[in-house]
Amino acid sequence: MSLIRALSKELEARSDDSLRALFAARPDLISPVVPDFAALAARASARVSVQRALERLNKPEMQVLETLHLCTNTDTGHSVSAAGLKKCINGATLAALEPILNRLQELALIHRADPPGTVHNPGRQRFYLPVGSLKDVIGIYPAGLGRSYTELVRLQPAFAQRVVNLVAELHQSGANILAATTPMDAALALQRWTSTPESLQHILSEAPARTRPLLNKFGSWAMGAVPQAQRKASVLHEGRDVGPVDWLLARGLLVPLDAGHVELPHSVGLSLRGGAIVDHFTLKPPVPELGHTSAALRRNAAMGAIAEVLRLVGELLHAVREQPLATLRSGGVGVRELKRLADSLRLGLSETALILEISALSGLLRLDVDSSTWVQPPSLEWLTLPRQEQWLWLVNAWLASERAPSLVGQTLPGPATAAPRSGSAASSINALSAEAQRPDAPLVRKRILEILEELTVEAEAPDGKAPVLNAETVMERAEWSQPRMSRRFSSLVRGILHEAELLGLMGSGALTQLGSAIATEQPDLALSILGEHLPAAVNHVLLQADLTAVAPGYLAPELSEKLLLLADAEGQGPATIFRFSGDSIRRALDAGQDAESILAFLRAHSATDVPQPLRYLIKDIASRHGRLRVASSPSFIQSDDESAISELVRDPGAASLGLVRIAPTVLTSAASPRETARVLRELGLSPAVQEAETAVVRYKRTTAMAAGVRPVYTAPRTAPPDEDVDAQLALLRHHRTVHGEVTGEAATQLGLETLQRAIRLKQAVTMNVVDGLGNSNTETVVPVSVSGGRVRVFDAARDTERVLSIHRIIDVEPAGDPSK
Amino acid sequence: MSDGPLIVQSDKTILLEVDHELATEARHAIAAFAELERAPEHVHSYRLTPLGLWNARAAGLDAERVLDTLLRYSRFPVPHSLLIDIEETMSRYGRLRLEKDPQHGLVMRTNDYPVLEEVIRAKKIAPLLGPRIDGETVVVHSSQRGQLKQLLLKLGWPAEDLAGYVDGTPHLIALNEDGWHLRPYQKLATENFWAGGSGVVVLPCGAGKTLVGAAAMATSSTTTLILVTNTVAARQWKDELLKRTSLTEDEIGEYSGAVKEVRPVTIATYQVLTTKRGGLYPHLELVDGHDWGLIIYDEVHLLPAPIFRMTADLQARRRLGLTATLVREDGREGEVFSLIGPKRYDAPWKDIEAQGYIAPADCVEVRVDLPRDERVAYAMAEDADKYRLCATSETKTHLVEQLVALHQGEQLLVIGQYIDQLDEIGERLDAPVIKGDTTVKVRQKLFDAFRAGEIKTLVVSKVANFSIDLPEASVAIQVSGSFGSRQEEAQRLGRLLRPKQDGRAARFYSLVARDTLDQDFAAKRQRFLAEQGYAYRIMDAKDVPAG
Repeated sequence: MSLIRALSKELEARSDDSLRALFAARPDLISPVVPDFAALAARASARVSVQRALERLNKPEMQVLETLHLCTNTDTGHSVSAAGLKKCINGATLAALEPILNRLQELALIHRADPPGTVHNPGRQRFYLPVGSLKDVIGIYPAGLGRSYTELVRLQPAFAQRVVNLVAELHQSGANILAATTPMDAALALQRWTSTPESLQHILSEAPARTRPLLNKFGSWAMGAVPQAQRKASVLHEGRDVGPVDWLLARGLLVPLDAGHVELPHSVGLSLRGGAIVDHFTLKPPVPELGHTSAALRRNAAMGAIAEVLRLVGELLHAVREQPLATLRSGGVGVRELKRLADSLRLGLSETALILEISALSGLLRLDVDSSTWVQPPSLEWLTLPRQEQWLWLVNAWLASERAPSLVGQTLPGPATAAPRSGSAASSINALSAEAQRPDAPLVRKRILEILEELTVEAEAPDGKAPVLNAETVMERAEWSQPRMSRRFSSLVRGILHEAELLGLMGSGALTQLGSAIATEQPDLALSILGEHLPAAVNHVLLQADLTAVAPGYLAPELSEKLLLLADAEGQGPATIFRFSGDSIRRALDAGQDAESILAFLRAHSATDVPQPLRYLIKDIASRHGRLRVASSPSFIQSDDESAISELVRDPGAASLGLVRIAPTVLTSAASPRETARVLRELGLSPAVQEAETAVVRYKRTTAMAAGVRPVYTAPRTAPPDEDVDAQLALLRHHRTVHGEVTGEAATQLGLETLQRAIRLKQAVTMNVVDGLGNSNTETVVPVSVSGGRVRVFDAARDTERVLSIHRIIDVEPAGDPSK
Repeated sequence: MSDGPLIVQSDKTILLEVDHELATEARHAIAAFAELERAPEHVHSYRLTPLGLWNARAAGLDAERVLDTLLRYSRFPVPHSLLIDIEETMSRYGRLRLEKDPQHGLVMRTNDYPVLEEVIRAKKIAPLLGPRIDGETVVVHSSQRGQLKQLLLKLGWPAEDLAGYVDGTPHLIALNEDGWHLRPYQKLATENFWAGGSGVVVLPCGAGKTLVGAAAMATSSTTTLILVTNTVAARQWKDELLKRTSLTEDEIGEYSGAVKEVRPVTIATYQVLTTKRGGLYPHLELVDGHDWGLIIYDEVHLLPAPIFRMTADLQARRRLGLTATLVREDGREGEVFSLIGPKRYDAPWKDIEAQGYIAPADCVEVRVDLPRDERVAYAMAEDADKYRLCATSETKTHLVEQLVALHQGEQLLVIGQYIDQLDEIGERLDAPVIKGDTTVKVRQKLFDAFRAGEIKTLVVSKVANFSIDLPEASVAIQVSGSFGSRQEEAQRLGRLLRPKQDGRAARFYSLVARDTLDQDFAAKRQRFLAEQGYAYRIMDAKDVPAG
């Protein structure tokens, strides 16, 4: 029976609770809704869905599943029982295996099957088969074991050519191996020669030194890189000092794949593991040896980091308000622009990029499409929030963000490294560019926080201490809890830990109380912890004779903003030093302040007297400010006759011009030259209009820009909502299909299954195919391969190969037994 | 969160709020490992540098104590990266040790095999080393002890020198404490130095560095070589030693351009040692040809490069460096650390001032407006001439007269850089001028007369900057300085910081031409003083009260 049909039947027989559990674990099965159990089974067998399901399995579950895959044959229906698996897994017990098999069955990755024909089954043991697409999803090295000699002979023509000779040489040299005349026979001979741990032990007893350590490297993965893998190696011409690679190649214990890679064949790998497919099996995750840091240090680091990141984001926003960030044509913010920002923040490039990314992903910066610059959205709510809520805003945005800020600055993989043009450095990922986008980042972040929490709770550190967790520890646990997923972690985990440290979720290498609150989704708890520890803002500065003002702590933002106009910020840390200089005072004067208002402001916010040198500086600069004045005016009136000018100013007829006397002989007018001249002529004067530019009135286009919206973080959902599940169950239970009739999704999947099975077994199928004119024909062909929506078939009747589109195939059935 | 007086910044500075009740306690705790950078009136700032941290290690402080101090006194969380950095840096000192081995002589030892491997593989270090004895020990050519230490510091693995010192020729020297006593900090400085073997003592001008030297000589009681900046300073050392110790005239020799005496205690000038003839240093023999038990370097921050090279070969002798500041304009602080030794004692000026040992000073910057013709000349001058033009303005000369009249009856110094200007001022004030070409004899005579109060006003050029003890000077007027050297400013002020018998405050005027380069340079010099905590006032020339 077809595997999909078998699965469909099994699913139908399940209880509602069992189905609910299945949907919770594999939400993709019911999204979108499936019409019937056949479709459900088809979807559960689909490659992508199986792939997702495997990502959730932990290491022992994966090991059992891989072993089950190796011990069964879906084509022949050769199934296996828990007892059968136990033999192949070192250290496994039936008690350990059964719950795992139940879970795998519940996940619809395996299903019950009849015992293999020959097996006598008195104990009513349960036998299992995996879903059909598992083979494709697991890959060519299940459990890290290589392919069999026969498969290698079939797929590696170079090896097939050599294998007969190789076996002959071995035979000649006195090895206990059968002679063979065809590649297939030779492959079988090799397989038999290496089939038991004892026989392999015997073969290896004559191996040169360093052979064992070399083979151990293939222990967890059958393929490895070896220089000149296709070198000539022969048993007959072997010297005394033969190297281990030559020795192994000459005996076919390693099979060359291409110029640089070799594979350890299945039987050799299995014998090396003592005949078991899995040599280490344990239900317990590895317990890492963790160092400790003091809770005080951890809190110090976290609180320091939080104060710092909030200060830096604030400064960055200030800098962006002063000058928006230009983008590159290729997207992202270029190094030059980043450098400018780094200078104004007094930070390194990589730290600046991180802060920039975090600000942008939090919605504190927006890309203004008209000017292609990053700007701060108007009326940003963030700026008005208390600091702990500012922090939560950043954290929520970070958790939900599909960007990986730490990737910025890393070199781009791909063509840039393959062919570096002379003089051009390998390109790196720019800040705010699309290359730092990682759609699975929220999921990975959530998993990592969970793992951190898990490890911290497990470690049970003594009072006043906290366990130190690093990327390796997290990776080790991730590899155990989700081995298939962990590969996606590896490129992100370091960056995420670094970012967590920046946001105070980690401190001094340990998960902080805040981090733990966030990991367990208790943001309110985090807020209250933070509220207790963040120092209040200070409202005064200390003015000193060396022309500095020191803010001893976090300065209230409005005060800081005003001081930044009067002085330049220096230093980096919780306190800010503002340095007054002639330039900075001039800047304030330009902005419309005067000496008195500046001094009054300083007196109001200084805890001490304004020192004499500072007073002197302000007054000195102010007294000389404005010796030359620059302003704009639409037009001016000039006359050598001072009295004429005086009269004009007083003339009520000229009042509409808004005349201002800026010198004895010069007036400015608020009207344009032409209008001014007209009014003057009306007054009976005859002005000469000098050639003047017409004023260009520019209208700055303003685009309505959305204000930064407070991010709401909802953890990536792993289970579908209950109502969806209920609806789905209701649909499944009420939809009665006539047995045997399948439609839609299930039909396609069934057809594919039939095709794939036929390809593996080299059987003919009968297909109902629609041609270009819409006529359907029934054909009997032998399928060769399926990929990309097409199937390649061999048409024995016409003795040709053809390619058919799958969507044209209405149905597929295995061809009847030709003998019939 | 504690409410401590410190704020630790992530840029490796530490701010100390002076008015905090725990400020003194915290200051003493951090002074051991952080360098005071600025000390304005309310918030002092300290800097954490590798050298400072290694100095602390050399003084026996470990990273844990440093971190504990920071965490204890800090008001806000301390940046975590900084804590890690401190721990890492401090752990580097002493991983390599220079030791005496009874069998192999001078050896370098380590407990950290990879460090030794790294160091041995450094290209420049390999030739200084002899054969490897075992995994953790390697023979060092004893002549290369200094150079090795220098290079190791550059690599970031400063070695701890435990190889000890030669005894030197014994020679009894005793302090002659008759009517005076070593001040507590002088005693402490001497003890710290002796316990550490070699190193630098940092004391402000006027705080009695010479006495620390004398005390060290008395403790050592061996023949001693004293290296000083110039002949006048050499004479002052001699006078001071005669007065304060049991040494007699016959036991003290002067080795300078004029006289070449070698006695149990010999005072030599840097200049004579660094004189080169035919590519050789003819007077080098003085340094390495005698069995000195102690070598004292006066004004370490001025030590010229050739002396460093000579010092590299003197690592087996005890070395004492004396200075007012470890800041070197040429940035050779690392060489002072590796060749003379770590800092053994440091006291901020303000502390010593507060203890009443040096006089407080009042600094006033007087801004003069250039007259119109000078302004025009200045505006049109070549860049190279600009500073001279504005610094030597006519108006300054008038102002000097006015100020001298104002301080009638006080001992007054006029300091400047341009000889023409000084000559003119000297003429106007009818005061003697000391400049480069004034002979030592005349200088000595003039200084003596000034000290005795026979001359009230003295005009001096750059040559008078260093090591001349003029305790009764109470007013100094600086008319031009040399391009904003912070170093120089501190020295000039130092001239006036000797305690006055009647407890008067010293007054330091600096005349600056407004809106010119002069003002920019002045701002730089001033900043140093303001940062050192000296009250600085600025006034306009027209506000100077008429004498």
